[in-house]
Amino acid sequence: MSRNEIPRTGMTESILLQLPLRVLLGGVFVYAAYNKIPAIQSFAEAIKGFQIVDSETHSGLIVMAAFVIPWFELIAGLMLIVGFRARSAALGIGLLLAAFIYALLHVIFTDVDADCSCFGDQNMICGSTVGWCQVIRNTVLLVPTVYLLWRGPGRVSLDQIFGKTEQIPAEPGKATQTITYDVDADASRA
Amino acid sequence: MRCMQITSGLLSIIGAAFLFGTVHALIAKPVDISKVDLGDANKPVVGAEPRVPKTDASKGTETPPENGVDETSIDEPAEQVVIKTPEEMPTDARIDENASGIDASVPEGTLTLQQSYDLWEQGAYFVDARHEHEFEAGHIEYAFWLPSTLFDTDSDRAFAVVDRMPPDATVVIYCVGGECDASHNTARRLKQIGFSDLRIMGAGYDDWVAAGFPTEEGGQP
Repeated sequence: MSRNEIPRTGMTESILLQLPLRVLLGGVFVYAAYNKIPAIQSFAEAIKGFQIVDSETHSGLIVMAAFVIPWFELIAGLMLIVGFRARSAALGIGLLLAAFIYALLHVIFTDVDADCSCFGDQNMICGSTVGWCQVIRNTVLLVPTVYLLWRGPGRVSLDQIFGKTEQIPAEPGKATQTITYDVDADASRA
Repeated sequence: MRCMQITSGLLSIIGAAFLFGTVHALIAKPVDISKVDLGDANKPVVGAEPRVPKTDASKGTETPPENGVDETSIDEPAEQVVIKTPEEMPTDARIDENASGIDASVPEGTLTLQQSYDLWEQGAYFVDARHEHEFEAGHIEYAFWLPSTLFDTDSDRAFAVVDRMPPDATVVIYCVGGECDASHNTARRLKQIGFSDLRIMGAGYDDWVAAGFPTEEGGQP
């Protein structure tokens, strides 16, 4: 007798919402990494321009961030697209977005003239100079991130193929619950 | 349990990013964000010939000549051109870590607006480190567009500009002024290439425009 675990997330939601959001959000970060990885020097200069840390005393930290952040974006973005450890990827992207928003606000409130370099030399919606547009854009990106962190990758994902069924709250405030469905028993009743 | 799984997955992503980033750092060109050492502050001004502003009618229509000099401007009467010898130039007009600025409105070690204009008149090369759309909207007459990012995104185009300036020439780099980092980033790249006389205009392009100094519109030829 085999037992198939049926996640609470429906196929409709998976196909119409979770999959497109994963591809969209993951694609944005893969695109950002694609533009940054060949231009690490420019990205390091952009981080330096944010003036969050003293570039004279913490130049090593800035260079390390310039090498690690694009690869983090690429790995997390790809994991989100294929739905592998998708909640971890969504959490990572969410934390990265929060850090970016903090950095952008720091630049805005300290009146520093800095380039975003969010997508390398490319601009997505906003201009290249840091402003409120980038803050709003990143805040908007947080919405699908939180949704995917809450609902998981859906049924069309590697997590599902590898048997990592989703365990989501059956009702708000209650403990997580996995619903199982006994196929053979149901067939014998019929 | 669920939180532990998500956290461990996140740590795995961070670890992988550090691993790939480290390998990338080992095989890539070294990244340099250190302060630019701009060398001898007392080096005489080297550039093209002295220049005068184009006429108003020509603004935005002429393209900068190959060597940064307007041929017609050389034929202008000499008395219209105020040329200072290198000895007459204030030493703090050059980038020098030890220099003390005489104009408090610009960061220490950078050129004031008047010093920049004096160098412009003497034929020093001017480099605009702002964004391309800003350059196209208006830039200092004869200036080249060369942001540091161009070396990464379109190196052929960047080196086409570099090839138009002799390495020993006096190059003045400007952006929006003040705390703008773009000039310093371009100066660092030019220093790495071998340029020896780099100076940074502490005042921004808007200050140049407000002073009524010559500007022109359009892209880079």
